[in-house]
Amino acid sequence: MNGYITEKAMQALKKYDQAEVYVSETVVNTVYIDNSKISNVETKTDKGMMFRMTKDGRMGKASVTLNGPGAEEDCLSMADSVLQFSPVNHDMNPYVFPRSAKISVPDVFDRKVAEITPDVLRELAKGVIDNCSVNIPRAQIRVSTTSSHVMNSNGVDVSHSSTLVYGHFTSMTVRDHPGEGIDTFHGTHLTLDPAHIGKELSRKANDAAVCTGFKGTEQMTMILPPGELGDMLFSSVGDAIDGENVKYGRSMWKDSVDSPVASEKLTITDDPTVPAPLSCAFDDEGQPTQKRPVLEDGVLRGFLRDSFCGASTGNGMRRSSVEAQGAYERTPVIKPLNLVVKPGNLTREQIIEQTDRGILVEKFASPEADGLTGRFGLNVRCGYIVRNGEITGVVNNALLMGNMFDCVKNVDLIGCDSTQMGVITVPTMSFTGTELVGN
Amino acid sequence: MQKMVMEEAQGQQDLLYKAVEHMQDLGAEFADAKSQSVRNTGISSVNGELRNLVRKGVGGVCVRAWIGGRWGYGNVSSFDKDAVMKAAEDAVRNAAGDKRSDLSLEPVVVKKHMKAQVKIHPDSVDLTEKIEVVRDLDKVQSIDERIINRIGSYSEEIKDNCLVNSAGSDISWQEVRTLCRAMSVAADGQRFERYYDGPDSTLGFEVVKDTDIEALGRKTAQEAIATLGAVRCPSGNLTVLSDPMITGLLAHEAMGHASEGDEITKKRSFLTDACGKKVASDIICMYDNGTVPGAHGSVPFDDEGTPSTCTKIIDNGVYNGYMHSLETASQLGVKPTGNGRAENFGKRTWVRMTNTYFGPGEWDKDELIAETKDGILTDKMVNGMEDPVGGCFEAKALRGYIIKNGEIKDIVQSFTLTGKSVEILQTVDALSDEVVLDGGMCGKGIEDWVRVSSGGPYMRARMIVGGGQ
Repeated sequence: MNGYITEKAMQALKKYDQAEVYVSETVVNTVYIDNSKISNVETKTDKGMMFRMTKDGRMGKASVTLNGPGAEEDCLSMADSVLQFSPVNHDMNPYVFPRSAKISVPDVFDRKVAEITPDVLRELAKGVIDNCSVNIPRAQIRVSTTSSHVMNSNGVDVSHSSTLVYGHFTSMTVRDHPGEGIDTFHGTHLTLDPAHIGKELSRKANDAAVCTGFKGTEQMTMILPPGELGDMLFSSVGDAIDGENVKYGRSMWKDSVDSPVASEKLTITDDPTVPAPLSCAFDDEGQPTQKRPVLEDGVLRGFLRDSFCGASTGNGMRRSSVEAQGAYERTPVIKPLNLVVKPGNLTREQIIEQTDRGILVEKFASPEADGLTGRFGLNVRCGYIVRNGEITGVVNNALLMGNMFDCVKNVDLIGCDSTQMGVITVPTMSFTGTELVGN
Repeated sequence: MQKMVMEEAQGQQDLLYKAVEHMQDLGAEFADAKSQSVRNTGISSVNGELRNLVRKGVGGVCVRAWIGGRWGYGNVSSFDKDAVMKAAEDAVRNAAGDKRSDLSLEPVVVKKHMKAQVKIHPDSVDLTEKIEVVRDLDKVQSIDERIINRIGSYSEEIKDNCLVNSAGSDISWQEVRTLCRAMSVAADGQRFERYYDGPDSTLGFEVVKDTDIEALGRKTAQEAIATLGAVRCPSGNLTVLSDPMITGLLAHEAMGHASEGDEITKKRSFLTDACGKKVASDIICMYDNGTVPGAHGSVPFDDEGTPSTCTKIIDNGVYNGYMHSLETASQLGVKPTGNGRAENFGKRTWVRMTNTYFGPGEWDKDELIAETKDGILTDKMVNGMEDPVGGCFEAKALRGYIIKNGEIKDIVQSFTLTGKSVEILQTVDALSDEVVLDGGMCGKGIEDWVRVSSGGPYMRARMIVGGGQ
């Protein structure tokens, strides 16, 4: 059906120098948990399209939901009006040209997800609730099916189908000083393990409930599990390898290709060949993707680009790793497809044993570094103090400060517990040179 | 065009009535149906190059069925009758299951049809003029070779809503939001710094007409360059004079999220059972007010059709009350406050803030600085994070200044502020006499973004400061 709509729309765009049509359709089912009870169940269907075109150096762009007769005409009318008012720019990079796939279609479609019923969703939610010994004040499991189709006037004609499974869970002990736990699940298949999630939620909330405030200031090794490290690396390394940031001169690594920018212990690859939320054989502009080295033994090997930046690496994405609906509304932007940090061979326990003085951060308030500068100063909601290879206390309400561009140069140890966190797959890692500030 | 002008609203209402009746026929105790059409124009320019120019039109219907104390949702991006009726059936099916409670909802019944109150509707302004604003905003930042990125942006959103429910409400209204922004990135070979500024509103294009574009662009560029000379902020438990943006984060993130009714009914908030208790110094009053004229978070009705209100959350240091949706108001036996909001027709409706702010004090801002012996003055925010469970505050300031003996001294680079919210508010000893609101997007948990504003006066308090590296 998407193919018919896209082809019909391309016919209407023949008068332009370049044209592109992107159509996406999603079905999303979500179950919500409130206070350890199933509250809402939602079913959403969403379908829409985006037109992009150029003529005589002008560009037009518009998107609509396909919500009734005439939506395609509305989209064309809006895009054309944008084009009429657009200033002339003869330096625009062309849209993607058709090329053969460089990788096999990754396994990103799970029929069980596509055929899920509200009862199955409720069972999954019930499994988490039944295995969690503390309250679950707020949680959701969301499963989606997406099909998309992109065509352009250069001959690109690419379809994609995938499923997405996303879970976000909170837990809380009920005491005078309650502890809170958070867990997430990112995947493409219905491999979510409700029992494991329920038990982890219990453990995290119970540990957080016995936190005490950290006092003083101390240089410490920062140990980050995948849940916290994924966002920290994405917000720093992800920004530094973004071709648009390089184009506009705001990447910290803009002049560093083939130079060391990180510890030689660190190797990162963008790997769309394995099941991950954004893995695909062609990106959302129709450019073939491939497994691509980003950092090899600490040496920067290149940047990720879309057609706007030119010489696309197949990283022009409209889809999101957590939210299926509304892909057609988004202009393609550069995204990693699946940044994989090469794991080490240490368990988390062995990393702790090999750390003299550090903090294993179970939960930051918001794990994020400044993409421009790398700086961070993050509130630790729950962290384990490590002294001479042993956990000696659990703390909260302290600020952990550092700079992620320095941290990646100061990698100490790398774990073997790689976990998918959105578009990044990371193990537990430790970094020297950070500072913990308490009250 | 996709826009749903008011004359067309009646057709939408008829469809919604049918959906509500269908859900009632299928067993819904209460049902509502809302259609929404949203049109956006977005323009941005970077270093003289038009980076983005796009128009969007999205629309669809959200129907909800309330059965046995549980919501079932059906959402569809279509105005087709069959699709909407199918969504109504989905909603009733999704509400099925074991009975959760006997709770009945008590909505305010409203019959009203409103247009947006703006002076210059964005629809009446040529796209060329909007593009020129953005290009000018970019160009005027070009004051120094250390400015490596000049970014100008403009966006408008026109949202047409229709809502009917089984209690008899029949409403349509339009929301218009217009904003423009300048952001400069400066670099000196060693480091990068940035600065931003620009107005936001629920006003029309007059918000752009009333802005001195040249002054706005030059200021952001000058301040980005000035920040290149910033030193590291000291760390520790310090006196902080927070600017309205950081004050607003304290209102929104620390106290606001914890005052959302659903956090209270779940006993997830540290402010559960706080009514009547002292939570701040005597000079503190705090509000969530969806009726502030022109403010970015203002809405005539929430997404359940409840008219916006002003909720006084803290009254002279004493905790006063919570924000509510239909569900949480019924759970606690109070009236809904107009805080049942959703990102759009495809998202969950739950308790969300509107414009959240601390009330003013009596100090002139300059006198307040002059009367501060040692401290940190904040200047703009990067972001903040809520902590309803633990009651902790976290905000990242874009930059600040050291105050020494009542005078502004060194500029300091970005830093983090934290501490227990109630402990911080107990230390507040001075507030300036002017409240400023700053618009933005608020997520709950990690998604469901709604338009809000937050703010307040300059506020002097003790907080933990982390100076970054």
